[in-house]
Amino acid sequence: MTTLTSRPRTEHVRPQEAHPAARRSPGGAVFYWTGGVLATLVFLVPLLWAVFRSFEPASRITATPSWSDVTHLSLGNYEDLFTGQIHLWRYVANSLMVSGGTAILVAVLSTFAGYGFAKFRFRGRGLVFALILLTLMVPFQAVLTPLFLELNIVHLTDSRIGLILFYATFNLPFGVFVMRNTFAAVPADLEDSAFIDGCGPMRCLFHVLRPLAVPGIATTVLYAFLASWTEFIGALTFLTKTDLFTLPVALLNIQTGTYGTLNYGYLIAGSVVAMVPCVILFVGLQRYYIRGLASGAVKG
Amino acid sequence: MRRVLAAAGAAVLTLTACTGAGTLASPAIRGVGFGTDAKGTVELWVRAATQAASAPIVAAFNKTHKDVQVHLTAIPDTQYVTKLATAIRGRAVPDVVDIDDINSTLLAYHEALTDITPLVNSLPYKKELSPAHLNLATYHGRNYAVPYAADISVLYYNKTLFRRAHIAKPPATLTNVLEDARAITKLGGGVKGFSFGGDSPGIMGFTAQPSVWASKSYLFTGDLGDQRAHVAGNPALRRMLTIYHQLWAENLSSPSSRTETGATWGKDFLSGTVGMWPGNEGALIGQGITPQFAKQVAAVPLPGALHGSCVFAGGDNIAIPRGSHNASGAWEYIKFALQRSQQATLPASGYTPIRADVATPAFDSKYPRTAVALHALPHGYAPTTLAYNTAINQVSGPFFQLFTSAVFDGDITGALESAQGSFERALSQAES
Amino acid sequence: MSHCLTHRPRTGMLLVAPAFLFVLMLVLVPLGFAVYISLTDWPLIGSVKYIGLQNYTTIGNDTTFWHATMYTLIYTAIVTGPIFVLGYALAVLVRSNRRGAVFFRTAVFLPYVIGLSTLSFVTLLEVQPNTGIANVVLKKLHITDGTTAWLVNTVPATAVVCTLVIWFAAGLTMMLLMAGMQGIPSEVYESADLDGASWWDKELRITIPMLRRTIALSLILSVIGSFLAFNQFYILTQGGPGTSTTSVVMWIYECAFVELHLGAATTLSLVLVVVVGLVSALQFFLLRDDT
Repeated sequence: MTTLTSRPRTEHVRPQEAHPAARRSPGGAVFYWTGGVLATLVFLVPLLWAVFRSFEPASRITATPSWSDVTHLSLGNYEDLFTGQIHLWRYVANSLMVSGGTAILVAVLSTFAGYGFAKFRFRGRGLVFALILLTLMVPFQAVLTPLFLELNIVHLTDSRIGLILFYATFNLPFGVFVMRNTFAAVPADLEDSAFIDGCGPMRCLFHVLRPLAVPGIATTVLYAFLASWTEFIGALTFLTKTDLFTLPVALLNIQTGTYGTLNYGYLIAGSVVAMVPCVILFVGLQRYYIRGLASGAVKG
Repeated sequence: MRRVLAAAGAAVLTLTACTGAGTLASPAIRGVGFGTDAKGTVELWVRAATQAASAPIVAAFNKTHKDVQVHLTAIPDTQYVTKLATAIRGRAVPDVVDIDDINSTLLAYHEALTDITPLVNSLPYKKELSPAHLNLATYHGRNYAVPYAADISVLYYNKTLFRRAHIAKPPATLTNVLEDARAITKLGGGVKGFSFGGDSPGIMGFTAQPSVWASKSYLFTGDLGDQRAHVAGNPALRRMLTIYHQLWAENLSSPSSRTETGATWGKDFLSGTVGMWPGNEGALIGQGITPQFAKQVAAVPLPGALHGSCVFAGGDNIAIPRGSHNASGAWEYIKFALQRSQQATLPASGYTPIRADVATPAFDSKYPRTAVALHALPHGYAPTTLAYNTAINQVSGPFFQLFTSAVFDGDITGALESAQGSFERALSQAES
Repeated sequence: MSHCLTHRPRTGMLLVAPAFLFVLMLVLVPLGFAVYISLTDWPLIGSVKYIGLQNYTTIGNDTTFWHATMYTLIYTAIVTGPIFVLGYALAVLVRSNRRGAVFFRTAVFLPYVIGLSTLSFVTLLEVQPNTGIANVVLKKLHITDGTTAWLVNTVPATAVVCTLVIWFAAGLTMMLLMAGMQGIPSEVYESADLDGASWWDKELRITIPMLRRTIALSLILSVIGSFLAFNQFYILTQGGPGTSTTSVVMWIYECAFVELHLGAATTLSLVLVVVVGLVSALQFFLLRDDT
């Protein structure tokens, strides 16, 4: 019945297996299943419809839908995107590199910073934390041009690494917040016993605290990956060479001509392609994500 | 902590110091072997829209020039001016830039482009070049760019539908357009006389303005930096809006005219159910015009609101930005691209050559629709103003507001009056 | 006691330094530069002129900025409630670990995973008159005749954007709240059950108070997201008709990249940063844990 693993958990709270408020009763089950099925329909069906559409050629997508559309489904859009002039693979690869790099960088920086904020006291701790959180409130359009000029001086514009640095920084607040709460929830006794055994802070972090931190790290990784995967204005500004474009930018450029002739077939198929890694990552990290939120974002 | 903040402050000051000057030095454009013996690489930026037109020319150039190679980068249209501007601030500009011709004035005015007047004068075919394009790139009598690839708006019409409605001649004025549209819509069966891109300011500026210009009546008057708007007391403009309003209100236009943002522009014309469609070759090719359907299509320059006809001399100019590192290579590429043989490759991607002497009988029979545009080129027009983008091309701009409230809401007088003020505001904003 | 020996302040600072350095160099320094820009007349191309506080004093004249601010506030007011209520209801639904709960959670969260930009493109296609599936369905249900051009008028366009955003963001709220709910000890509920409390009583008196921090986080993220909304408006309406669906950030973007008045645009951005900061601080304060 339990979906929880045997990882060590914080002691003073017992997360719920089956929430008492949802204990079995016939009326409750009806509510549950009706609600669940309804929710699934509302949230999933539009996405499935988009996937269906992606198999229609552009001429049919922009025409009035009819039942005969079903017989005209084909892989044409996908073929054109990947083997035709558009070379979508290149952009998918760029996006994977950039988003993956961002996620890893954010995870590393946030873990160290979260540990530092949670378990150490030093002068200016509150101020530094507040400054990092300030980033959440800055619409990056405000700093886009200054940032561009700054990165230009160090030759990091028009480069994927520059983009990674940009994305990582703007995803730091969430990551630091989550990791700080994760570590704050770690009981002092756990660390104390490690220190008594002779662990320095770094070894303590890596060996003892790591299992507790993993859910928070998974949360941070997922959030940073998703945020940078779908971002396009920053990518559009910082990247000039077409080869380096990420997927959203490439999709935006599917418009041809000065007056915006748009091949909707390619656009929808490209959007479906964009959905796939996100879904895979989410489903894979799902259990970490929920438990990460439970231990990270909620307490402390 | 204090040291860290001090370092940050120093970084800010460094940034401000590094990014002061807005203008770069012009490259030398004279000298032995300039434009003929260029070496190295040439960085070429093109608008994403003209990529299909430029790519074959660049390939041909690279094949025939062993010492100098052109490297093509396509920039999304909406980002083009911004990217160029930030490149100038960052002191890292490309060697040659293909720009939207209506931006030529803006860039020349802000001293972003090299004065290439002697080079242009040295071209033996200078008088064949599209005067409208060249004019856009001329500031205080000096040339800052040359025409590169033209995108001309014309009125396409369906010959079959015209025959069925017993219309003998294509329309000569907008009043004729209205009459013909009524006749064609009467055919019934879902057939409409007209179709237009009513939810796209860019398209309406491109296809409706020429009907006003046909009467030599321009929306922006005066010298750059001190222009006035000629909107409220502009009879040709009023007539154009009135006709368009009737085309919409009398149900003579396809319903998608209201919501067409450009994504499916020309699609209904290509389905054979629309009689007349002001558009361009690029849209027809983008929507996949077939050779069979092409037999039904003919084109005329856009009929004037009151009289005459005109076309929008749109498309691209090409220039050497200030700060270019290989101006010689840039000019060598430009001369190559301006050759008749290279210009003749443009119709395949929907563009029109910018030299009148490309119009040979052979060319006219191979590309009949483009030939109409090409023959109209010497009489084409595009406005010289710093405010084009903000006043005409924006959804929030005064032109689009004027068009939508006049044509779809029917308040022509009110719209014209309030537009006069908003045009003036846009001008003063752009010229400040 | 052992903390003093091993939890040296210095180590703490070193741990925090890398993250802080990134924020310093890539957020705070550009912000400082942005302050400088806001004191200038900075055309995109051409020379920069220092004009002091003029950009700030003329904000009052920028009617479109105030209109955009008003619109963004209305938009935030419209979507925040439904996102929260819907998210809460869904969280109640899926917080148990019964069979199917994991599947339901995934289904509801999927739109968030996919991202608002992609969803906006799909929406753009599907609200087209006659051909978009939204209109086809409405026509089949005899609610409209299927020709509504949703994005061409202010109110329908706003309705479309709000519906999209509520649908998109409910998943995140659900996850945040659900995780919080799972963290409440069952003993608390058990003693309430012994006292004969109803489901609604338990929800109101136990769950919600104990979820204060999570609710605060969820609301703050939602409000900040709404204040800074850009992608969906850029893709769906381009701020039109006119500037009636222009959000604040969209207006700043236009000011900077279309009108090429970088100084003025940066001034507006800085004002926005301050406003968002104040609103978030207010929310933190109002929803703080009194424990």
